[in-house]
Amino acid sequence: MMNKISILLTLLFSVLMVMSCTDLEENLVGEVTEDISIPGFVVPQVNAPSPGGQLAGAFGRLRDGSAGHFGYYSVQELPTDEMVIGAKGGDWFDGGILIQLHQHTFDPTHPMLENTYNQAYGGINACNELLAGGLDANGEAQIRALRAYFYYRLVDLFGNVKIVTQPGVDAPQSSRADVFAFIESELLASLGITEVSAGMDLSGSALGTSSSEYRMNRYGALGILAKLYLNAEVYTGTAMYEKADAAASYIIDSGVYSLCGAGCAVENLGKRSDVPSDPDMLEGYAAVFAPNNFGNPENIFTIEFAETGGGGMNFSQMNLHYESQFTYNLSDQPWNGYATLEEFYNSYEDGDARKTANFLAGPQTDFSGSAILDFAFDDDNIVLDYTPQLNELAPNYFREAGARPAKFSYKIGGRPDMDNDYPIVRLGDVYLIRGEARARAAGDWNLSLPDVNTVRARAGVSAFSSITADGFLAERGREMFAESSRRTDLVRFGKYNDAWWEKPVSPEHVNIYPIPFNSIQASNGTLSQNPGY
Amino acid sequence: MKKLFKLTLAVIAMVLFTSAQTMAQRTVSGTITDSAGEALIGANVLEKGTTNGTITDLDGSYSLTVATGATLVFSFTGYTDQEVVVGNSGVINIALDEGELLDEIVVTGYGSQRSKEVTSAVESISEEEFNKGPINDPAQLLQGKVAGLQVYNRGGDPNASSTIRLRGISTVGANVQPLVVIDGIVGASLDNVDPNDIAEISVLKDGSAAAIYGSRGSSGVILVTTKSGSDGAVKISYNGQLTTSSPVNGVQSMSASEFVAAGGTDLANSTNWLDEVTRSGMTQIHNISASGGAGNTNYRISANLRGVDGILKNSGFDQFNTRLAFNTKTLNDKLKIAFTTSFTNRDQQFGFQEALRYAVTYNPSAPIFGADAPFDFNSARFGGYFESGGFDNFNPVSIIEQNINNGERREFNYGATLDYSLTDNLTITGRIAQQNVSLNTVQYYPTTSLFRGNATSPIRKGSASLYDQQNSFDLYEAYGTYLGSTDAIDFTLTAGYSFQENNFFDNFLSLGDFPNNGTDFYNLIETSQDLSLVSNAGLIGAGSNATENDRIIAFFARANVTIGNGIFLNASVRREGATRLGPDNKWGIFPAFGVGVDLNQYLDIASVDLFKVRLGYGETGSLPGQVGLAQDLRAIVNSPDGTVTTQPSRLGNPNLGWESKKETNLGVEFASGRFSSTLDLYNRVISDFILNIGIDAAVNGGFSSQIQNAGQLSTNGLELALNYDVADSPDFGWTTGVILSSYKSTLDEFNIEAPTLRANLGAPGQNATDVVRVAIGEEIGNIWGPVFAGVDADGAIMFEDVNGDGTLKTDQGQALEDDADFAVLGNGIPDLELGWTNQITVGDWQINAFFRGAFGHSLVNTFRAFYEPRIASQSNYNYVNTSLSNPDVTSARFSSLYVEKADFFKLDNLTVSRSFDVSGSSAFESVALSLNVRNPFVITSYTGTDPEPSLVDTGASANGDGGGGSDVLAPGLDRRNNYFSSRAITFGVNVNF
Repeated sequence: MMNKISILLTLLFSVLMVMSCTDLEENLVGEVTEDISIPGFVVPQVNAPSPGGQLAGAFGRLRDGSAGHFGYYSVQELPTDEMVIGAKGGDWFDGGILIQLHQHTFDPTHPMLENTYNQAYGGINACNELLAGGLDANGEAQIRALRAYFYYRLVDLFGNVKIVTQPGVDAPQSSRADVFAFIESELLASLGITEVSAGMDLSGSALGTSSSEYRMNRYGALGILAKLYLNAEVYTGTAMYEKADAAASYIIDSGVYSLCGAGCAVENLGKRSDVPSDPDMLEGYAAVFAPNNFGNPENIFTIEFAETGGGGMNFSQMNLHYESQFTYNLSDQPWNGYATLEEFYNSYEDGDARKTANFLAGPQTDFSGSAILDFAFDDDNIVLDYTPQLNELAPNYFREAGARPAKFSYKIGGRPDMDNDYPIVRLGDVYLIRGEARARAAGDWNLSLPDVNTVRARAGVSAFSSITADGFLAERGREMFAESSRRTDLVRFGKYNDAWWEKPVSPEHVNIYPIPFNSIQASNGTLSQNPGY
Repeated sequence: MKKLFKLTLAVIAMVLFTSAQTMAQRTVSGTITDSAGEALIGANVLEKGTTNGTITDLDGSYSLTVATGATLVFSFTGYTDQEVVVGNSGVINIALDEGELLDEIVVTGYGSQRSKEVTSAVESISEEEFNKGPINDPAQLLQGKVAGLQVYNRGGDPNASSTIRLRGISTVGANVQPLVVIDGIVGASLDNVDPNDIAEISVLKDGSAAAIYGSRGSSGVILVTTKSGSDGAVKISYNGQLTTSSPVNGVQSMSASEFVAAGGTDLANSTNWLDEVTRSGMTQIHNISASGGAGNTNYRISANLRGVDGILKNSGFDQFNTRLAFNTKTLNDKLKIAFTTSFTNRDQQFGFQEALRYAVTYNPSAPIFGADAPFDFNSARFGGYFESGGFDNFNPVSIIEQNINNGERREFNYGATLDYSLTDNLTITGRIAQQNVSLNTVQYYPTTSLFRGNATSPIRKGSASLYDQQNSFDLYEAYGTYLGSTDAIDFTLTAGYSFQENNFFDNFLSLGDFPNNGTDFYNLIETSQDLSLVSNAGLIGAGSNATENDRIIAFFARANVTIGNGIFLNASVRREGATRLGPDNKWGIFPAFGVGVDLNQYLDIASVDLFKVRLGYGETGSLPGQVGLAQDLRAIVNSPDGTVTTQPSRLGNPNLGWESKKETNLGVEFASGRFSSTLDLYNRVISDFILNIGIDAAVNGGFSSQIQNAGQLSTNGLELALNYDVADSPDFGWTTGVILSSYKSTLDEFNIEAPTLRANLGAPGQNATDVVRVAIGEEIGNIWGPVFAGVDADGAIMFEDVNGDGTLKTDQGQALEDDADFAVLGNGIPDLELGWTNQITVGDWQINAFFRGAFGHSLVNTFRAFYEPRIASQSNYNYVNTSLSNPDVTSARFSSLYVEKADFFKLDNLTVSRSFDVSGSSAFESVALSLNVRNPFVITSYTGTDPEPSLVDTGASANGDGGGGSDVLAPGLDRRNNYFSSRAITFGVNVNF
């Protein structure tokens, strides 16, 4: 009997096995699982189209966090004396992370630091993938210089990081000096030289001289190198101001770029048709950062932002009060976050073109020019009025307190993603790098005056006849407001640990951010924390 | 279905008969009937203490030769055994009584067993024991009835499915809902069964029972048996219910006068926003069924109509459902065919739960309409409504009256099962089933709606979105069942193959910028300015997803062995593979083993009716919730320059493998006289659980997380069920039962060694405020935060120096530091859950009272955390004003102040019914009337809307965004987007023709 059973069962199973399907291969029909590249049609843009090709993805990574909330921009601006987010009741308290940035009490779990760190490595990985896949000489030089720029952010923010150069291949944690050396050697290699010097010959560089500002050319790479050398003393303990001077001078002396001054103008896309006081054109400094700033003669290397297909610049959302939506007819309600510290705002003299370009202050008007009323007012003033004065950091920061950043100016009908391109290297900055490098190299701040006064003249303010380190820092602040430079500058000038509004003196270890907690956790012991955390 | 079991058992009995040896001296014969006198086919007759026995034939007759003075045991599944000593008479006719629990048939997956043969924790709940009242979700039939089964629908949104958890956290990865098997069809959806059509539900609680279902059984298995027809004339039955429901527990906030007195912005009106957005909901349920049969064929057909109005205005649904069950036998009764099909059409008005939330926080002195504003207000822009603006602040009445959020779900299922008896012992079964679900949803926000309609946008007002989803699920199964026996051993062998495939497709379209404000938005879509202006490129949202050939394939085998009618052994193994896993880890093996001993058979203790001990061990698996996690994904980047490239968008994990659950269950069943009880103790270990884990971004291309098999979680628990018949006289009967369950889950291993935090409170102002701590060696569900210690003279919040080191570390960012002053503020998982049933019969009257409670859990009351502090700059939001409010707190900081004990005890369900026997006097056979109250009272100190445990966190939501997450590692959050609970009174009528 058992025999019969087993025969039957065997038979049954044989039938089943023959019938049965065991195919378990997973085919994701609804997803892209392999890299593809398709030449596409051109979407009409405010900005002119740039050359694209296979490098677009890696350069596109620059958009991550560079002009939005919660990334590089936030951690470069919020711990400084030029920008702050006050806690408006429960709004914008966010577990204290914004106050921590302002007061330099951040710790390794700070989510913005983690995000910034991850975004930098996301860019590095995009570069590594391209390099591993093989590029032509120019492409390789561009991508190596771009990767060096991402590492420049890391060496400045976190100091001691891993130098990962191949996709998915781990690397040991390097000292800040070693990361500095790597960045320097990569940039020099892409420039085809072994050293930056006054008479250097870049003819051996695979980088071009006239490519789009959205891509890396020799001047862009030199500009990054100039920034690196300017901060070399901070990063390595060894000053390299002559090299910073040489790199900056090469850019200026090439004559390829010029400061955008009188006559350098673009249409004012923020003009309200019913408000005669709104200018028709933006000229000079304001034009450099306008929504239609592509091709500005001052731009050397910029991050391409576009409301369609190039999102990531969210300044209108981050900076403006909810009701300012009606000034510009913005498609979305803003978040009412970032504002300017009063003392910083007041460091601009009246008549400085940069004061009007960089800020919105005073009573606000709607699209037709009428006063904007705010029924949820908390400061006894129903009219929306950006007062330069800030009442307190927390918990009841007035919702309309603080002049609002407006350097990257808002256009009528703007969307949460803005069109303005964001400079990484621009000529105004290069002048100030050269001036500072010369002053520091010689130990005489007055040596910076020619370059400082070049920049001041463009802003319509009178020339200085003498200058100190503090005076230089203030001038650099006015010029470079909202360009993610302030934290680095304050550290270099030894001012980062000073007290300012609602911020006590901070310990020196905060000059380097902590390595993110989660990265250390996930690194299986290959990452160790920076001192002091 | 019962018929089927009878036949199966008849086969078993026949086997017994043929193999039994004859060694007797006297022949006894007779017939066995049920209490109504109908013949029982295949009933067992056994000479006690021997293996000598027989079964009844088609007329219910038997004949057996036995020793003189022997005792005969007459038994039949579903009936009480009877013992008769053989006397002088050679004829013994027996009528067996029905419905004794000891011999209940339990559906156990790919077959069924007598309950005493079961060696795992399986519980069956029949129709009579179901919860009563306006129940739209079959899971709610079981709420509180099965020890260890948690069924919660927080707030009771009629359009939301219940959260079902068996023994707490059974998986971390996904598939957190139990596997549902309807009439043998694996993976079926409870949505397509009307509660009125369900005859019985079995719950396979432990791993040894569920392992036969492999990967999908980790969260438990719910086996639903629908009603089927029976032989005889056509029976028609009607059930009707009319329900009125009203909100019971809103979140307390201030009246206009209180608000103004507390310093709120005075807008010169007085509006009770909760009253404005809620209503008394009316629900109608009609069920009509016809059943009958003749010869080898029977059928049942039913139609169900439901019209449900939620307590939130403009929410509810209308549903039509029909179901057909058809059974027949042919080829000399060798081939049995069972066919079921059902169709559901549900027109849903989802409404806007957000209106409830904003009703709590909107300025109570604000007017509904702009015309009533104390100042000149341009109300035309908002369709006549008042809007005060500000973050996360919308006029709730405008939300529900101007906007549309509807959907339509159609579900069509069919299943056919063929059983063919190859021999008397061997049956092969083939099953084919398909489930098709289509869902369409439409949302429309007119140009005058501030809420998601961009009413203030001068350039792009209004928005609409359409979503379509198609899902089809196919099941093919084949298995063989062999019934065998030797002298002292009966056994059943089952082996088979299962193939499941899911195909999913969806697409959506969203656009905006409408020229005017018609409500016929289908026509408006083509007038969207988004479609006509090139400069609006990128503003139209469109997309589609397809998941094809998502498969699970399995081979399984099982043996059930009964030794001497007192020792029961079960063993099963399933080898299963799934497309969703990494190439080398697709296949898993899931064994199970169980042993049970009917001690009463051997000890024979006087007055003890049942004393059984069973031990089971089983392994099940769990799959990730998404397809494709083993593969890298790339996202297309459309550069502004026209170039199309891709960049990595997700880091796949090619090593992704099964999450496995190993569960050991020890059970004791005891019954004596009027008392019966079941105790289950279990230990479950979930290893390789699937979770998104932080990784080093530097090495992983900037990706800071990846889905991994990330750790191990263990749970120990206890379940106790006690039943007692307090009285069972004809005039007065009272049966009462208590179930208790308790469990604790601990994280044993985790890829991340240091503690981490989950469950961000969110905007406004409480981002980066994660409040649930997850750490190796600690219980799941610990709420972690600083301890409130009052307010100082300046109004600043003070916290306790928890560790007493003289320094305060209470910033959220310091939460995980060793010397942080943070503490466990509560735990989201109850220590004890209680269900208490009472059935009282007085003459023709019947009273059902069901009490339910949960104790020891806490909830983070997020409404209070956000809106209770009297923040000066929030003077345009209403303040939540519970008994715990402290007017001195003027800033919002998460702390112990907002973590509340949520113990509760409630009368869940009270039914009074009376039946009338009218068979003699009218066309009706019987009529029963009932009155049911759901949620008559709750005893709790919790100040939120609902003290039910929150077992899964849906995530933060603010400014009109929905939540939508499902984090099982972060229980204990009462989020702001919950529906509010209601009380419902139902009048029901049941008529049988």
